[in-house]
Amino acid sequence: MSGIERYAAPRTLEEAAELLSAGGATVFAGGTDVMPQANAGRLRFQKTLLNIGRIAELRGIGESNGVVRIGALTTITELLESPLVRGRFRALWQSCDHFASDQIRNAATLGGNLCNASPAGDTLVPLLVLDAQVVLAGKPNGTLATRRLPLAGFLTGPGRTLRAAHELLTAVEIALPPAGFDSEYFKFGTRPALDIAAISIGLGAVREGRVLRDVRVAFGAVAPTPVRAPRVEAALEGRIADDAAIEAALEAAADEIHPISDIRASDWYRREMVRNMLQRMLCDVREG
Amino acid sequence: MGEAQKTVARETLIGKRIPKMDAPEKASGRTRYLHDIDLPGQLHAKILRSTQVHALIKSIDTGAAKRLPGVHAVITAADVPWQRPIGVAKDHLPLKTGRVRSLRDEVAAVAADSVEIAAAALALIRVEYEPLPPLTDPVEALQPGAPLIHPEPHGGDGGPQLKPGGPVAYTGKPDNVAMTFEYAQGDVAQGERESDAVVEDVFRLHYVTHCCMGVSGVIAEFDASGNLLLHSNTQVPFLHKREFAEMLGIDPGRVRIIQPPIGGGFGSKLDIYPFEPIAIFLARATGRPVKLVYTREEEFEASPTRQPVLLKLRSGCTRDGALTFRAVETLHDNGAYTSWGATTPFVMMQTVSSLYRVPHCKYRTRAVYTNNPYAGSFRGYGNLQATFAVEAHMDRLADAIGMDPLEFRLKNAQQPGEVTPQGMHFGTCGFKECLSTAAARSAYQRKRLEHASRQGDASPLKRGVGIASMLHVGGGAKIYPSDGCGTILKIDDFAHVTLITGASEIGQGSETVLAQLVCEELGLPLSSVTVVNNDTDITPWDVGVHASRTTFIAGNSAIGAAKKAKDKILAAAAAKSGRASGDLQLSGGFVVTPEGEKLFELGKFLRSLHFSDKADLVMTTFYYEPPSHHQDREFKGDVSAAYAWASQVAEVEVDTRTGIVKLLSITAAHDVGRVLNRLGIEGQIEGGVVMGQGYALTENLIVEGGAVKNPSFRDYKLVTAPEIPEMDISFIETMDGEGPQGAKGVGEAPAICVAAAVANAIHNATGVRITSLPFTPERVYRALRGKLEAPVWNVPA
Repeated sequence: MSGIERYAAPRTLEEAAELLSAGGATVFAGGTDVMPQANAGRLRFQKTLLNIGRIAELRGIGESNGVVRIGALTTITELLESPLVRGRFRALWQSCDHFASDQIRNAATLGGNLCNASPAGDTLVPLLVLDAQVVLAGKPNGTLATRRLPLAGFLTGPGRTLRAAHELLTAVEIALPPAGFDSEYFKFGTRPALDIAAISIGLGAVREGRVLRDVRVAFGAVAPTPVRAPRVEAALEGRIADDAAIEAALEAAADEIHPISDIRASDWYRREMVRNMLQRMLCDVREG
Repeated sequence: MGEAQKTVARETLIGKRIPKMDAPEKASGRTRYLHDIDLPGQLHAKILRSTQVHALIKSIDTGAAKRLPGVHAVITAADVPWQRPIGVAKDHLPLKTGRVRSLRDEVAAVAADSVEIAAAALALIRVEYEPLPPLTDPVEALQPGAPLIHPEPHGGDGGPQLKPGGPVAYTGKPDNVAMTFEYAQGDVAQGERESDAVVEDVFRLHYVTHCCMGVSGVIAEFDASGNLLLHSNTQVPFLHKREFAEMLGIDPGRVRIIQPPIGGGFGSKLDIYPFEPIAIFLARATGRPVKLVYTREEEFEASPTRQPVLLKLRSGCTRDGALTFRAVETLHDNGAYTSWGATTPFVMMQTVSSLYRVPHCKYRTRAVYTNNPYAGSFRGYGNLQATFAVEAHMDRLADAIGMDPLEFRLKNAQQPGEVTPQGMHFGTCGFKECLSTAAARSAYQRKRLEHASRQGDASPLKRGVGIASMLHVGGGAKIYPSDGCGTILKIDDFAHVTLITGASEIGQGSETVLAQLVCEELGLPLSSVTVVNNDTDITPWDVGVHASRTTFIAGNSAIGAAKKAKDKILAAAAAKSGRASGDLQLSGGFVVTPEGEKLFELGKFLRSLHFSDKADLVMTTFYYEPPSHHQDREFKGDVSAAYAWASQVAEVEVDTRTGIVKLLSITAAHDVGRVLNRLGIEGQIEGGVVMGQGYALTENLIVEGGAVKNPSFRDYKLVTAPEIPEMDISFIETMDGEGPQGAKGVGEAPAICVAAAVANAIHNATGVRITSLPFTPERVYRALRGKLEAPVWNVPA
């Protein structure tokens, strides 16, 4: 009934890439997006159901030479439990803390959340703030090749990325941010738990005295993909978060977002919430 | 429980905290719901619904579906030309002929070896439609020239004709008005002349749905003799038995309904819906048991909703705070077919006329056909909608004359002994105690002034308190020829009681409270009772689970049967001991004297009656009919044997930057007559408050252009655990003379006034009055910024 003719559960990236090269495969990791989408008729299964869950090399969180590599199969729960994530990537950790329910967090993977490319995807906004790169692997010509893309370039639209059909997202890499860098994720939903963001905001910076450096701002659910906001960043870079700077940031934000109306919120309300919540976050920054 | 424990003398069970009898089974996952039942040879059914909001059916091709291996039957209206219209107005053919009127319309159905095959077969059915102009705005439905939803008799519109001389078809409607209700008392014009303050508002109440954990479902089966057996989640087995028989043209005696444990009803299972006849048609077509269970998406898209209402209210009072008049007009969106939602005016007008004393009243409802989903009955039955409007005006009138809202309410509140102009007789009435208890325990008056004084403070977080009250039937509701319930009770040789009751258990805890009432009469522990309540071939008649009636009606019936058993036992014990039977009592498993002397161990004594020359068993029956009355044609009459009252104070925190309303606490005071099972009644009230909270703040079935836009728990927001407020619940025990041990019904009461109290609390916090629900963050935020469009009354006269 489902159209699936073959189920494959390879144990190595090589094998998985091989299967992908043959074409006609649906990649399955945690299944928390694939299954509801298939049940709702929005996703059609390809002939091969490719379960990548047994590929050990897609797991684990590790650091070397100042770069943290997070395997694509890392679950949201594993991110939450990682001291490294909690200690150095606070916004990412917060996004995992607000991610769906325990049951979903236990199954959902970071790679899946990125490949699903929802405009409201929870981990995407903090990863943009952290200048994350995605690692893609494929075997187009019989040999395994990998490439790296900045996350911002990887996301191209709702549910769309630059991942080619023969490629697998294998990991996310994050260069450790400079000393003193701190980040914050704010998810605005209509209830305190089990919600999809109506808007979300990621904010990161180094504070030198009262001056903000290396400011990074990203928004979720206000454009076809989560987006960095360079003009908001520019409005804050090298400045003290005083009323004038905050107002300039809010004005820049209004220009940089392009929200739509859907069943969760109207475009007007999303704009208002970006303004009010960014203001609240920046006031918190000002007050230390 | 052993003999030794059984003989320990007990105090009364009434008012104790008694866990529900079915809790161990449910908590350990052993309960077998309809979903868990599979009969030998059973087939699985699925329904093909319309893809069009409003269209003519030009053709249906089921050929490919019929050829799919594993498919046993594919049916359309053409296969059941004898089908009859169902529902409250008999305007609803289970399988549609000629015309579809909503996206939930049933066009064809399949029975197959598996659910998956049935689903695949649905995909092979080709239906050709000719779209018609959709009608999804009830206001438009009343405009001249609006598309008609039921212009022709069903069956006569190009589809297969009903058999000549056969069952009656729906005759069609020349306009879109499905039902009209008009009520009046006094002279509203005079009331308005006598008023010093008059307020008028338009309120818009939205769609919500029941969200039962157990979705709709049925298993239909015919035996070799043509008798129909249904495993059904219905709340009204005896009424449905008759309706199914009429539909099939068979003797009602040949229909048997077994109710497996039901995963919640809340009114959703009070009407017949097309899926039930369809399962029966398929069972007849295949000669096999046919199981049809909704998916969760189907439950959202195709089961009944709460009635959406547009309501205009005009109210007045004198400057010293006496209500003078109230005029209500409502427009009910009836959807494509008429279910119970259209009849909610029965309850709404009671709140309008009789919650407070008001001399002049006028009420009018028109329920109009559209291509939208239809509404059914839902806990509170229109009362949430009416109370929302009436209690908003109690605050607004109090403000208009500068009176404290609590004082204003107390001045107009009903009192014991009152007979209202609508004919309701309030034998017991704890309304004023409810008001003063809820107000005192929440410090309502002090907080209201404090919070109002802080509206202009710099803080973005505003707090507010609001009070609202409710009146609802608490002693059944005489809507059908009988509002009664029968009981059969037997006590076996070991003093074990089997209580066979007509009352259905849908999770509300009726088994436990009925067992408790019987034990109280017979002096036995709860473990001595088995309750049988789910098989129409065994249980005596009952009108069904609705109108908060089960504890009251079935409770009185159970007590009646238990008393007869007790009388019989005591008479035999008197004869045997040479004492007067009036001197004897049953207590702790013994026949005892007034001094507590144990004369006979009950089991042993029953055996001595059984195994004797005049062998006899203790088995009794009782039928309880409440002393209530049908309404007359003007909707006047004392429809319930008792009335329940409640007042609730809500305290909220409004975040003016986001519009998020946090419900901090509910202080509730309920006139429940008497507390029977303290644990059970606390659970009922807590659950009801949360249901009311969902109606007020989060739940919203979004219907656009006739389509449900959020058919999932991701997008239909039920209240989650962290949102549940602190609750302080007080019971006002008025000891109703007609109630079982003094109790009244309480099932619906706790959900009714939450939204009204929250609305008043938001006003207290922010100074903004919102007359449309739900109070989602965006709605509240818009209102705070003056950007919320207030509902308007643009309904043609």
